[in-house]
Amino acid sequence: QDEVMTSSGTEKALSLLRRLPRVSIGNLGPNPGAHNEKRRGRGIYGGKTHGAGSGGSGQRQNFMRVGYETGNTPFYLRFSYQTYYKGHHLKLSYTPLCMGKLQMMIDTNRLRCDVPVDVTQLMATGLFSISPQQKEGGFMLENEGIDHFKATINIEVQWANEAVIASVERNGGFITTAYFDPLSLTAAIKPVEFFGRGIAIPRRMLPPQHLIDYYSDPKNRGYLADPAEVARERFLLAQKYGYELPDVNASPNKDILLERKDPRQIFFGLEPGWVVNLKDKVILKPTDPELKEHFAS
Amino acid sequence: MTCSAPRLLLQHLTRNVQGLNATLSVAGYKSAVSLDKIYPASDLDVTKLQTPPKTDGLNFSGYVPMNKVQVTYSRSNGPGGQNVNKINTKVDLRLQVTTADWLSPELKERIAKKYKSSITADGFLVVRSDKTRSQQLNLADAMDKLRHMIHTAAYVPPPPSAEDEERARRR
Repeated sequence: QDEVMTSSGTEKALSLLRRLPRVSIGNLGPNPGAHNEKRRGRGIYGGKTHGAGSGGSGQRQNFMRVGYETGNTPFYLRFSYQTYYKGHHLKLSYTPLCMGKLQMMIDTNRLRCDVPVDVTQLMATGLFSISPQQKEGGFMLENEGIDHFKATINIEVQWANEAVIASVERNGGFITTAYFDPLSLTAAIKPVEFFGRGIAIPRRMLPPQHLIDYYSDPKNRGYLADPAEVARERFLLAQKYGYELPDVNASPNKDILLERKDPRQIFFGLEPGWVVNLKDKVILKPTDPELKEHFAS
Repeated sequence: MTCSAPRLLLQHLTRNVQGLNATLSVAGYKSAVSLDKIYPASDLDVTKLQTPPKTDGLNFSGYVPMNKVQVTYSRSNGPGGQNVNKINTKVDLRLQVTTADWLSPELKERIAKKYKSSITADGFLVVRSDKTRSQQLNLADAMDKLRHMIHTAAYVPPPPSAEDEERARRR
């Protein structure tokens, strides 16, 4: 009789109180039906209506945002990526230059072929624009006009196919494919502007992984390929395309045709590390051994 | 006397230039990735003369001396408007089989036998091509056809093995 007779209801209530967390703002909520959630459909958010906004809102120009599909995940948000553009941020695009156009530029004296032709010379014609920032790599030579190409030229471009290489070599010329990284390309395409900045000529960087095979292949006349293997490929290509390879040793322009840049060089005749002062017509070369070591590395 | 900033800069720059030590001439500029460092064993001669491989017996090496072969161009047939009417894209490749000293006598005999229909009365083996719109590519095609002809003429099928003979006998 000393036991206090508590009802099961209060027992339950007390056990709940022991179990449950303390009441706080975080675990309070209104009873269902306490708040009216109905909102008027407005503007670009679609609101809380079916279909095209609340009655007549289209007539009042309260359109929903473009692409909104009245609640379900819209088409433009359904796909976060597409496989067809995988690696697009790494790939470079090249300005096409037809052999016919190249021949025309030489014939009209727009382009000199008594000096080695590279990106700088081609840009100096003023007929092209390249933006390295938009992932443009330089020039690629195209097939159009290979039959009419007659010039003997030492040309350096960024991409060339077999037929183009054959057409250059059958006329006694030499073609090299070379890679320019964006910074070097910016300097190469507008040299005067670059020299005006008063900074040292940078070293040209080596190609990225997916391009190094292309530029190391003698078949593509890559600038990183072994010249002895290139000589062999020249012979084989001449046999494939049915012409006799002209002897360059007999040519009066031998020195110009055989002139090549070092893989780290951007300009013919200028080394990395030099500062070209066009105003005072002076070239400033580094004397500090650490700098010299860096620019020769 | 106070020096202005541009003058100080100019002095600094010219000071470096005044110490004219013998710098490498640009023709001698060699970085750490120059070709002689990548290929130390190579002579790096792009003008090196290549000796063409010889054809002995029925082993055709693939080498065709272009000075021993006559190439003529003409206009192609088919549609194409002004381009096909005016541009000589068709290629006609001729070689005198009997006087071709770069082919061995056995091989010449086999070619004359197998490609009798492609040899003219004068003894010229004729190969024609107007496959593409480009003269250069058509010449490459004609060269390919010529090499194919010579290779197929040179091919001697292997003698029947003992099993083949046994099977033939049973039939």
